Amino acid sequence: MTRYISARLLATVPVVAGVTLAVFAMLFLVPGDPVKMMLSEFQTNPEQIARMRAQLHLDEPFYRQYGRFVWGAAHGNLGESIRDRRAVTAEISEVLPATVQLATGALAFAALLGITLGIVAAIRQNSWWDLGSTAVALVGVSMPSFWLGLLLIFVFSLHLGWLPAAGGGGAAHLIMPAVALGLGAAAIIARLTRSSMLEVLRLEYMTTARAKGLAGPSIVLHHGLPNALIPIVTIFGLQFGSLLAGTVIIETVFGRPGIGRLLVNAILDKDFPLVQGVVLFVAMGYVLINLAVDVIYAAIDPRIRYG
Amino acid sequence: MRMTPRASWGVGIALLVIVLAGSGGGAATRGGALTVGLDQDPPTIDPHASPSAVTYQIISSVTENLLFQGTDGKIVPWLATDTKVSPDGKSFTFSLRKDVKFTDGAPLNAATVKWNFDRIVDPNFKAGGALVALTGYTGSKVIDEYTVQVNFKGAYAPFLSYAAGGTLSLVSPKTTPTQGDAVNQKPVGSGPYVVVEYAQKDHITIARDAGYNRRPPWSDHQGPPYLDRIVFKIIPEPGTRVATIESGETQMINALNAPAAVLGRLERNKNLRVERVPYPGAPRIWMLNVTAPPTDDLRVRQALNFGVNRAAFVESVYKGLGKPACAPLTQAMLADPSLCATYPYNPQKAAQLLDEAGWKMGPNNIRMKDGKPLVILINSINYGAGNLPEIELLQGQLLQLGIDARIKSQARPPWYEDNYHCATNGPVMFLRSTDWDGLYALFDSATVHTNFNWSCYSNPEVDRLITEGKGVFDPAKRREIYLRLERILVEQAVSVPLVDEFSVWVLRGNVQGTRFNYSAYPVLSDVSIEK
Repeated sequence: MTRYISARLLATVPVVAGVTLAVFAMLFLVPGDPVKMMLSEFQTNPEQIARMRAQLHLDEPFYRQYGRFVWGAAHGNLGESIRDRRAVTAEISEVLPATVQLATGALAFAALLGITLGIVAAIRQNSWWDLGSTAVALVGVSMPSFWLGLLLIFVFSLHLGWLPAAGGGGAAHLIMPAVALGLGAAAIIARLTRSSMLEVLRLEYMTTARAKGLAGPSIVLHHGLPNALIPIVTIFGLQFGSLLAGTVIIETVFGRPGIGRLLVNAILDKDFPLVQGVVLFVAMGYVLINLAVDVIYAAIDPRIRYG
Repeated sequence: MRMTPRASWGVGIALLVIVLAGSGGGAATRGGALTVGLDQDPPTIDPHASPSAVTYQIISSVTENLLFQGTDGKIVPWLATDTKVSPDGKSFTFSLRKDVKFTDGAPLNAATVKWNFDRIVDPNFKAGGALVALTGYTGSKVIDEYTVQVNFKGAYAPFLSYAAGGTLSLVSPKTTPTQGDAVNQKPVGSGPYVVVEYAQKDHITIARDAGYNRRPPWSDHQGPPYLDRIVFKIIPEPGTRVATIESGETQMINALNAPAAVLGRLERNKNLRVERVPYPGAPRIWMLNVTAPPTDDLRVRQALNFGVNRAAFVESVYKGLGKPACAPLTQAMLADPSLCATYPYNPQKAAQLLDEAGWKMGPNNIRMKDGKPLVILINSINYGAGNLPEIELLQGQLLQLGIDARIKSQARPPWYEDNYHCATNGPVMFLRSTDWDGLYALFDSATVHTNFNWSCYSNPEVDRLITEGKGVFDPAKRREIYLRLERILVEQAVSVPLVDEFSVWVLRGNVQGTRFNYSAYPVLSDVSIEK
């Protein structure tokens, strides 16, 4: 297992290098001068623009700029944001907790709602419960998160006044963004749990368990669920990726600080160092989460062994 | 010597009078906190480093200037009690107040001013908009402890206005050098508020400086501000921002990008109040590329000016957000009846000019010449939410003239690049500037292929007048120069000025005492919240 984890960790290096190179190349190829754009709200003169380009090394060729980034990253220095004039590591570390909080909240909401709906739909197959759960899943998958976000704000913030509409902070600030972000994932998890559970419920060991006199929630939760969970756990890793993509929209709608908003603004401003830093971070996060999923996979399914 | 642009305000001043009348009177309530919703987070709030207008919305109550320019355009003393300009217009001598201390205890003196301006031009300092304000700066001389002379290479009349702008506000020479990167988040000024918290992309909190003992030029009282603190909350999504003011989560918001229909709803809400201040600088303006066909033909450009119905803009997508524009500077800055009279809405005249230019109405109601349709390519920024409504309105209006207007809708980086390369028939844009010299950035031949001569227009007479304007201090003579300049630009139809925009803020009814500076940014030391 240790060897497996080490090998997987080593494999992140080419993945991250590839991702950052691709993103750097794309940004470089897209037309636009970040300095001229940055100074766009004021009068500027060519001398000022040239000076700032030189200060930021933007007058250097592609390979030197990328080399500068790689050399810095290898030494734990991701450079300085062009727009914000601050260390990229500082920028990321300041907003990362808010994104982790949002993604965790959304995933927890998705897991709780999705698994519950899936189990209910499976054990009450073809009932109104099943139909209701399917309807919720359909709505969850179909509804764009930004629209759901605005709807939640309209109801719970504007009309009922229960929850704050904007900003980061405590639990009250998290509920609506987590629900808006997590509902889509909840729908997918619900459908998967239902089908997985239906399969498990038909297996012989479940019949045996019932023959031995077990019944009710106990048989579902203790015998059925652990086995039904195996394919669901894998979907968590994949959902994490789409949740990260979803934070871009949710963080904007709810005015929350976070990695998603940081990245989108950095791309729009052609802020090379910041884009690179965030991409590096997200790529590593994605790889590590999927590694964690694989490890958990082995833990819950004794048949799986890595070596 | 003081410069006084004779701004004719029209609707703007009328609105402002209503605003001030509504916000004055009665003893102000002390204490409490105000939460202000802003549309974006600033890259830095160091006034000298920032390239972004939102910075100055936040620090206009934190840092102070040598001079102050109010919404009437008048420049009045602030930290400098007296200003003398040398006969050649190259040197400005400021006599400073003797009772000013920064919030870290450092006194304001001549050396402080010199240190601040030298900081901006230091090649190792990454200055933002401040560097342009000091174009041609050759250094400052400490005459005595409270007298400083600021020198420039050539005569530089716009400096008086720029000295009153946020970019040249002063930071403490005691704390700033020791702060490192922290200056971007907590600059130390001498104003009535102090920055106490900076939560990136979330909020910035400024708190009352209880020791503040002066009366700023805009203020109704001497001493510290009424509120305990102000929280600037970053809420980029306009729908969410509007929801927060309606629910009371915020007490003041910038209405930027809020749809006109929503603004109407907010105005009808008796718990809210809408305040508008005209922006200085250029209006929302369609720059016409004079080097690319068909806009290289003066008759076509004039036809566009006659054929665009500006009133329709302010009746629809800009309802409550602006008034019809007449020239490349807003009427709040420089108004003259001759400018507005040049191109009244006249589609018949537009059609006649297009006919004269050889563009005859062809099949499908699109004009043709030599077998080619009349196609105009508008460069439009796409922020990710599709075409901008004002561009689609423009496209629709041009179609009625028989012009096939195509929208090149693209993200910021390629949008800029096309403008630098004069690759389209021109972008729709705006420029904020507190001096008529803003025309330099828009139309001087030196700024083609850079910011912002995106008409790609080069005219020696225009260049000459722009240079002349920098050297003339007499307000009447100066106005005459810029009016001549504007007349040339209007006659040559190098742009289609669309809408003179307002800076629009929505407030809860119990928020009193908001004031604005010439840049149309709020200054908040007189604000109080009625219990």
